[in-house]
Amino acid sequence: MKPFGLDGTQQEPQPKEIMNWKKFFIAFVAAFGFLFLFGFLWYAMLMHGAHQEVPALFRTESEFNEHFLWLVLGHIVMAFFLTLLCVRFVPAGGASPCALLGLFVALVYLGPHLITFAVQPITTKILWGWIVGSLIQFIVACSIIGTIYKTSSPVQGRF
Amino acid sequence: MKRFIFAFIAAFIFIFLWGWFYNGVLLKDVFAEAQSLFRPREEIMRLFHWIIISQAGLALAFVMIYASGFAGGGIAAGVRLGIMVEIFAVGARCAIYATQPFPAKLLVLISIGGFIEMIVTGVIVGAIYKPAVARTS
Repeated sequence: MKPFGLDGTQQEPQPKEIMNWKKFFIAFVAAFGFLFLFGFLWYAMLMHGAHQEVPALFRTESEFNEHFLWLVLGHIVMAFFLTLLCVRFVPAGGASPCALLGLFVALVYLGPHLITFAVQPITTKILWGWIVGSLIQFIVACSIIGTIYKTSSPVQGRF
Repeated sequence: MKRFIFAFIAAFIFIFLWGWFYNGVLLKDVFAEAQSLFRPREEIMRLFHWIIISQAGLALAFVMIYASGFAGGGIAAGVRLGIMVEIFAVGARCAIYATQPFPAKLLVLISIGGFIEMIVTGVIVGAIYKPAVARTS
């Protein structure tokens, strides 16, 4: 079964759907919570040792604390637009189709990781850690969004 | 499928050329200001194939997202997707700014280039890829 018409035959002009803002907001908050918590556990805790192998590439703890608000802001922006992308991509919601979108998004951001590896002296351990981390992070975050933002009606529109 | 492949190839060529022109030519001096964060030029050239692979992966993923959930909306839907993808990337750059000592100016300029890149990619993909239903109607 081709879920969304990659064969190019299932796309038809659809009527616009009225967004359920309450579910959208709850999904956004949940996505933010997950992205931030997972990011802390994966990148700051599990990968701490790997990052310490190239300390010149990262801020010191005091510098990081000074810039902490940027980290929060970045995650808010990511969570908001990931939720928006899910809602636009799969208006009916659902964990599986949104997980597929999460996989696509992770593939989009695989590019910057590989470019970073090519231009910055990060280790392959860091590269793999970032790749696996973003795959888990985006697939799970999109699944959460899809589970929360689930309409009772069938797919009504995409754009 | 044919249009999918055309859209992917066109998007990849644009992303590659834009990446070279914007990052390699226009921002050359700005990148040089943060030289300590980057590999020496010879090393980058040795790993250059990873840049090409990553840009091909980006183009493929973009076309896949467009074809799976945005096709039928044409250029406007492509532009909307490009803007969403890039704003998401700006969020990621904010997180990078918090953890890596990049000059803010560099990240702002990269983001401006990213917006142009993703919007034009959206235009290209939206113009080339059309689902069967839209093509026949």
